[in-house]
Amino acid sequence: MILEQLINGLTLGSIYAIVALGYTLVFGVLGIINMAHGEIFMFGAFMGVVITHTLQLPLALAFVVAIAVTALLGLFLELLALRPLRGKKGVSHLAPLISTIGVSIFLENLAHHFFGAGNRPFNTSFSEISVQIGSVTIYAVQLVIFAIAVLLMVGLSFWLSKTKAGKALRACAENLEAASLLGVNTKKMIMMTVVIASAMGGIAGILVGMAFNSVTPQMGLTMGLKGLAIIILGGMGSVRGAMAGGLILGLSETMIVVFGESGYRDAIAFIAIIVILLVRPQGLFGQAAPEARR
Amino acid sequence: MLAEIINPYYLQVLSFILINIILGVSIYITLSTGQLSLGHAGFMSIGAYTSAILTLNYDFPLVVGVILGALLAGIVGILIGIPTLRLQGVYLAIATLGFGEVVRVLFINWESLTQGAIGISSIPHFGRELVTGLRDTGFTADMIGIRNNQLISLLVFIILLVITVLLITFFVRQNHSRVGRAFAAIKMDENAAEAMGINITYYKVLAFAQGAMVAGFAGALYAHVTAYISPSDFAYHRAVEILIFAVFGGSEVIWGPIFGATFLTAMPELLREVSEYRYMIYGIILVAMMAFRPQGLIDHEMIYKIKSRKKKKKKVEDDKKERNRHGVGS
Repeated sequence: MILEQLINGLTLGSIYAIVALGYTLVFGVLGIINMAHGEIFMFGAFMGVVITHTLQLPLALAFVVAIAVTALLGLFLELLALRPLRGKKGVSHLAPLISTIGVSIFLENLAHHFFGAGNRPFNTSFSEISVQIGSVTIYAVQLVIFAIAVLLMVGLSFWLSKTKAGKALRACAENLEAASLLGVNTKKMIMMTVVIASAMGGIAGILVGMAFNSVTPQMGLTMGLKGLAIIILGGMGSVRGAMAGGLILGLSETMIVVFGESGYRDAIAFIAIIVILLVRPQGLFGQAAPEARR
Repeated sequence: MLAEIINPYYLQVLSFILINIILGVSIYITLSTGQLSLGHAGFMSIGAYTSAILTLNYDFPLVVGVILGALLAGIVGILIGIPTLRLQGVYLAIATLGFGEVVRVLFINWESLTQGAIGISSIPHFGRELVTGLRDTGFTADMIGIRNNQLISLLVFIILLVITVLLITFFVRQNHSRVGRAFAAIKMDENAAEAMGINITYYKVLAFAQGAMVAGFAGALYAHVTAYISPSDFAYHRAVEILIFAVFGGSEVIWGPIFGATFLTAMPELLREVSEYRYMIYGIILVAMMAFRPQGLIDHEMIYKIKSRKKKKKKVEDDKKERNRHGVGS
């Protein structure tokens, strides 16, 4: 029983970690919090519903479509909401935050319009497959989710630390102007960051659809706020922190359900935000003082 | 004659505009020290629930309930404000957003007191209570020739109007006082303000608590005007809606959020087809305002222009009068 819950917690935590990675990437490079990330994630989940349920097409295609659509949304986000604010005189640091809040509320209501307010099932025969080990049932979906999470994490870390593009990205995160002087195409790097972060949100969306079998327009908000909690917990802009924070949140949420206080499940994330910001504002894995950023 | 003019529906819309103006003012006060709070929906719900529960379950008089609701929201504002004001900009926004969600989850789960997600209904209604009170003194709606429900909405509107005007007057006067100037200095540059001897923490907490209190006050009024509240009335959407009043109208001068609240509340009523797409339009407005006019529609410059034009006009008229007088004299 407790072992099964632990596995559930790990699955949930892996999904949270993928969502949080999207936030961390954008924050690391641009120093802004992308409030629309949760809604982009929700669109990924709905693409899964449309492909597997409405059109009855295979799951693999759902991944491709979700990644494509969310990447496109990320591109629009960058071009319409973020780029116009960059480098403009007299724009406060709150402007990008407010702008992305605008995008988030727009996307949520767009989804409301297209897909309706209700719960949408996500039926794939895949989610029924399970393995019995002793008294513990493990669903194949859980394994897939965990594998994808680890793969993304390792891939991202490798990409950031070893490849040329990754180095350019880190240079941008360090100092945008200096990077551009050294020949990094910062415009392209920023766009790439937002698009990759959004596509990861799309992947997370499909995984959530597979794991919980329900998709609603409101899920973007809940998941987005939890992603925010995780990056604050793990440290802004830290890839390792996002993974650890995601797992911590996933496990503690599952545990509180085990102890029968399921109503307060959603409050953990926010209480964590407030406590962490007060006690250790840089997060568990963060180093620099947050104010030092632009 | 009066009976034909008074339309309860329009009066209700106007009443909601007034409540939204109060909410707009509440976010304006917090923003006037450069702090962005996304927790105003939370403060609003504290005011609303406090007043509703006190009047419904413990038979408190309405006025006392509303005042206590606002005070409790203000106290919570101080408690949240003191620790979170160590945080800057974006972090403060997220912490307050987290606070708002915690309050909402609390109200959903505290079923013995708040009836959970179903919400509290049959809260004592402002107008109806007043009309009953008036009837005891011998005054009925027939005496001025209108129906009972017309009198109810009329009374609600008048009371809200008086409250709103008083509130705006208070904050306009505060803006020209030592406190208002301290707020403005902190918004411009915190370090410089501190160097000039302004106690930053005190004024930031003051602004935050004032904003929280006004939001709680608006929430309490809202509870007694609609007579029904539920946690979903105070979700993230409400926080964004309050924010957009200031972002659209302008956060530099108090007239900005007042205009924003008026326009954005009236718009869906005037254009029925639009109301379905209301939040989508809100989203577009937020993005567009940030890109093209981050300070909002009404800013210092605009107020200055209007004022100087008025002066000029007055001067021209005075000149004309002067000339006429001379003309007659010669």
